[in-house]
Amino acid sequence: MKDQKNFVHHIRPIFVPSKALSVLYTFCLGGVSFLAFVVLGVTGLLLMFHYQPGNSTGFSSLLTLASVIPYGGMIRNLHYWAGQLMVVTVNLHMLRVVWTHSYKPPKQLNWLVGVALLMLILFLDFTGYLLIGSQESGAAATVAVNILGLIPGLGIGLAQVLFGEPSAISGSTLVVYVWHCFALPMIALFLQLYHFWRIRRDGGVRPL
Amino acid sequence: MPRQLEWTRRAVLRLAWVGVIAASALTIEPLVQYLTSKEDRLQSTLVGYSKPLDVNSDWQNTANARVWVKRDSLGVMALVATCTHLGCEVHYHVEKKEWLCPCHGSIYDLEGRPISGPALKALPRVAVELKPDGSLIINTSKQVGMDTRV
Repeated sequence: MKDQKNFVHHIRPIFVPSKALSVLYTFCLGGVSFLAFVVLGVTGLLLMFHYQPGNSTGFSSLLTLASVIPYGGMIRNLHYWAGQLMVVTVNLHMLRVVWTHSYKPPKQLNWLVGVALLMLILFLDFTGYLLIGSQESGAAATVAVNILGLIPGLGIGLAQVLFGEPSAISGSTLVVYVWHCFALPMIALFLQLYHFWRIRRDGGVRPL
Repeated sequence: MPRQLEWTRRAVLRLAWVGVIAASALTIEPLVQYLTSKEDRLQSTLVGYSKPLDVNSDWQNTANARVWVKRDSLGVMALVATCTHLGCEVHYHVEKKEWLCPCHGSIYDLEGRPISGPALKALPRVAVELKPDGSLIINTSKQVGMDTRV
């Protein structure tokens, strides 16, 4: 394991622990999560061609996208269900890591990276919900802004940076859009690549 | 002598690649349709109608599929065929003289007043302007009352 510094050997190692080859050990939950992430990236990019963020345009553009644009409904639903799947699989992945004691040294750093990724994915899920731009998402955005506002001093500024100024009847703002479509996925992607690299460095299981 | 076909692991995987590429090729046409769709571009709120309208004619569709015009003894009116429940396009059924919504079954009478189904409000009427040459300009952004005629 220690000799596998080469990138190719990293992806296709010469040796892997035989125990790690068992699917029942990991249930491939991390791999399924990453697959969902890739699906989300591709379908999300496609959605960006027709979705218009904004309090007044978000919901109506989504309705047009899902009901009028050819295959728009399918792409939207793929994005939605891949998102739902990913939230489920990352949580199960975390449970599995706890179950097999895989958070213990030498993997303690990768566990922390995983926790950060879980937070990112949940926040991506939440911002995606806001971008629907329905009345419910407006209520959700209002609650989030008010909770952040409780933080003394920083709160109101933080809410501005994370959510912009959502209206009570639509959570879709340009700020949320930028976080959801670019900033958060990029941070999540680089953390994931580090997460995978770290598995091998810690002598862990075989990736997908 | 023909080479015997052997289902080695390599042969199966190669065939799988062909399948993946073929499946990807099938997505090209839908993708092009999706990406080039102009259905969500901003449309003018003004719609023209230049054909002659007889008195007591039936509803006539204009260039915009959701805008309909009709003339009765009092004048010309224009209606937007968008269901007041959740915004589906309602269809006019000539034989029944009714507007039917395909989504949740709302029914409107000839004048666009709701008869049954979840919709409670009448189909919106919009402003019509009569030009000197007899053609009509319908302004879909300006709602008017049920009794307004031009």
